[in-house]
Amino acid sequence: MESESRLQIHAPERFKPWQGMLLTVLACVGTTLLATPLIGRLDLANIVMLFLLTVLLIAVKLGRAAAVLASVLSVLLFDVFFVPPRFSLAVENIQYLVTFAVMLATGLITGQLAAGLKRKAHEAELREQRTQALYESARHLAGALTLEQVTDIARQFIRRQFAADAALLLQDEYVHLQGTPDVPDFSVDALLARMASDSGEAVRRDEYSGDGHASLYLPLRASHRTRGVLAVAFADGSPELPAENLALLEALASLVAIALERLHYVDVAQNSQLKVVSERLRSSILSALSHDLRTPLTALVGLADSLFLVKPELPATALETAQSIHEQAARLASLVGNLLDMARLNAGEVTLRREWQPLEEVIGASIKLIESALVAHPVKVSLPPGLPLLEFDAVLLERVFCNLLENAAKYSPPNGGIDIVALDAGADVEVRVCDRGPGFPAADQAPLFDMFVRGDGTAGKPGTGLGLAICRAIVEAHGGTIAAGNRPDGGGYVSFTLPRGTPPVVEEERV
Amino acid sequence: MSTPKPRVLLIEDEKTIRRFVRVAVEEEGCAVVEAETLAGGLIEAGVQKPDLLILDLGLPDGNGIDLIRDLRGWSEVPILILSARAQENDKIDALDAGADDYLTKPFSVGELRARVRALLRRRLRSGEGVTPVVEFGNVTVDLSRRLVVRGGETVHLTPLEYRLLSTLLGHPGKVLTQRNLLREIWGPSYVESSHYLRVYVGHLRQKLEDDPTQPRHFLTETGVGYRFMP
Repeated sequence: MESESRLQIHAPERFKPWQGMLLTVLACVGTTLLATPLIGRLDLANIVMLFLLTVLLIAVKLGRAAAVLASVLSVLLFDVFFVPPRFSLAVENIQYLVTFAVMLATGLITGQLAAGLKRKAHEAELREQRTQALYESARHLAGALTLEQVTDIARQFIRRQFAADAALLLQDEYVHLQGTPDVPDFSVDALLARMASDSGEAVRRDEYSGDGHASLYLPLRASHRTRGVLAVAFADGSPELPAENLALLEALASLVAIALERLHYVDVAQNSQLKVVSERLRSSILSALSHDLRTPLTALVGLADSLFLVKPELPATALETAQSIHEQAARLASLVGNLLDMARLNAGEVTLRREWQPLEEVIGASIKLIESALVAHPVKVSLPPGLPLLEFDAVLLERVFCNLLENAAKYSPPNGGIDIVALDAGADVEVRVCDRGPGFPAADQAPLFDMFVRGDGTAGKPGTGLGLAICRAIVEAHGGTIAAGNRPDGGGYVSFTLPRGTPPVVEEERV
Repeated sequence: MSTPKPRVLLIEDEKTIRRFVRVAVEEEGCAVVEAETLAGGLIEAGVQKPDLLILDLGLPDGNGIDLIRDLRGWSEVPILILSARAQENDKIDALDAGADDYLTKPFSVGELRARVRALLRRRLRSGEGVTPVVEFGNVTVDLSRRLVVRGGETVHLTPLEYRLLSTLLGHPGKVLTQRNLLREIWGPSYVESSHYLRVYVGHLRQKLEDDPTQPRHFLTETGVGYRFMP
C-alpha cells in the first residue's frame, strides 16, 4: 500500500526489521513455554486465546509484518506443541483445522487492525507535528524583517520536515528570476522555475532528484502577482511525494509569498516616506533660500527708489546712481528667481498645475508683466481663430513667454517689433516668438537650450544663459519640444509645441 | 486739508523694508504705525483702527493668513500682502481669506504707492455707496439698467457674462481669485472648473477690450485670478 511506504520514509521505527522478526519469534516461543505447564489445566481453547493475545500485542508493538509472522508461527506452535498428537504437525481431530483457520484469520485480522491503528496514530502525530512546525514557521515569517530571514525560515522548515534543501528565486520588477544572496549548494533549473512562475502551478521533475538538482518548483503566489519560486532539492534520492506533503509545501510557499509581499510593501512605504521627507526638505530649503535672498534684494530696490523721495530733491547724478542701483538689484532678483526656478525644475518632479485655458490669456499676462522691457518693441499677437483651449501650468508658461519676450527684446533693434504666432501642427500647437534681431547662427542650436550656454555675439548683452534652459525644462515637462530658427525675411525665432489633448466641453449658455 | 491723515499699519519683521515702505507710504500722505510681529500687529490693528494694513506673509511668529482671518471677523480694513514666496498658493490663500491685493518681493516703490493709493481710494469710496454707472476705456456700464455701451453702441452680453462683468466691476482694482469668482457666478460645484471662468473672461475681453490679447481692463493675475482696472 502506498501509505506503507510513506510511513517507512519518514517514521523512524523503534526496531530494525530483523530485530522485529526475532522479537516476534521469541514472543511466540515464550508463549509456548508459558502455556506448556498449563496443558491439562486449561482448555485448548483458552490456550488459543493466549496465542491470540500475543499476536495482538505483537501487532500493536511491531506492526503488520510481525503480526502476520506471529499468526502463522502461533498456529504452527499450537499445532505442534498442544494439539494431540503433540510434537507433530498431524491432527487427530479434524475439528482442529477449523480452530487453526479461525486462529489464523483472527490473528491476521487483529494484527492488521492493530497495526493500522498504530499507523494512524503515528500519522496523526506526524501530521500534528508538521502542522505545529508550519505554524511556527508562519509565526516567524510574520515577524521576518528581511529577505534573508524569510529564506532562512523556509529552508529550516524544509530541512527539518523533508530532509531537503530549498532556495528562493525572486521575481524582480523586470520579471527576471533571481536567487537570494545565500547560494544553495544545489543547482536550479531556470527553465523549470520560469515554468512554475508563469503557470502558477507546482512543477516536478523527479528524474532530476538526488544528484544536486532541485526537482520541485513551487510558485510563490501572493495576492497581486507571483513573487518568485521556491525550489526544493531532496537530498536522498527521489522520495515519493504524496499529496499531503505537497500540500504542506504549498502552504509554506504561500506563507513565504505573503511574507515577501509584506516586505515589498514595507519597502514601498519606507521609500515613499523617504521621498516625502526629502521632497519637503528640498522645498523648505528652496523657499528659505528664496526668502533669504529676496528680502535683501527687496530692501535694496526699495531703498534705492526711496532716494527719489528725499526732500529737497537730490542732485541728478545721485538720482542716476539710485536708478542704476535699482536696475542692478532688479536684475539680480530676476537672476535669483531664474536660479531658484531652475533648481526646482532640475530637482525633477515639478508638480504642474495644469489647467485648460486659452493661450491668449497667458500671452497677454506675460506681455503685461514685462511691459517696461517691451516699451521699444511693440508685440503683435496672431493666433489662428478657433484655437482650442490648451492644458498647461499658467505660471510656468508665463515664465516661458517672459523669458522668450525678454530675449527677443534684448536682441531686437530699437523699435523692432516682436511677433507671437501660433500654428496648427497636427497633434500639437506650435507657438513662435519671433524677433527682428540678427537671428541665430546657422549651426546646431540645441546647445542654446543647455544651462549656462550663451549664443555667439551675445558678449555685450547681459544674461546668464539660464532663460532658454528654463524654457526647455518647462516645455518638456508639458510634453512639448522647443527649437530655435531663423525667419526667411530676417530675424530669429524660438518655437515650442504644446500637445493639444482633448479639451473639456464648455456648455453653451442658454439665453 | 481738514480730513485726518489715513492711518496705515505696517506689519513686517525686516527693519530695512519697513524703512522704505514707511517713506513711500508717508509720501502718500499717510501716518504709519509699525509692528514687527503678528501678535503685535493684531493688537495695533485693534487699538489704532488703521485705514490700510500692509502685511508681510513671511513673519517669524506665525502664519499671516491666520491674522487675516482673525481680522476679517471684525474689520473690513483693506489688506495689502507682501509676499517673498514665489509659490502662488500662499497668495491665493491670503486672498481667499480676505486680503485685497498683493505685491511680490522685490517690488518698486512706484508699484507700492500705486497699490496703496488704489486701496485707500476704494476705502473712501466704499463709504459713498455704489455708483450705478461705471466707465472704463470707451465702455459705459449702467448697472441699474443692465446696459453696456461701447463706443456708442450697445453690447449684447449673455446673463453669465453680465454677472461676471458686474462682479468684477464691483471690486475695482481688487484681485478676485478664480475660486471666489467660480463660486460666486457658477456656484460651489464649479469651483474646480476653471476653464469656464477663463472662457467667459475671454468673451468679455472680445466684446469690451480694444485688443483682447493685450487687455487693459480685465487683467489676468496668472495662477491667482483676475483684476478689473478701470
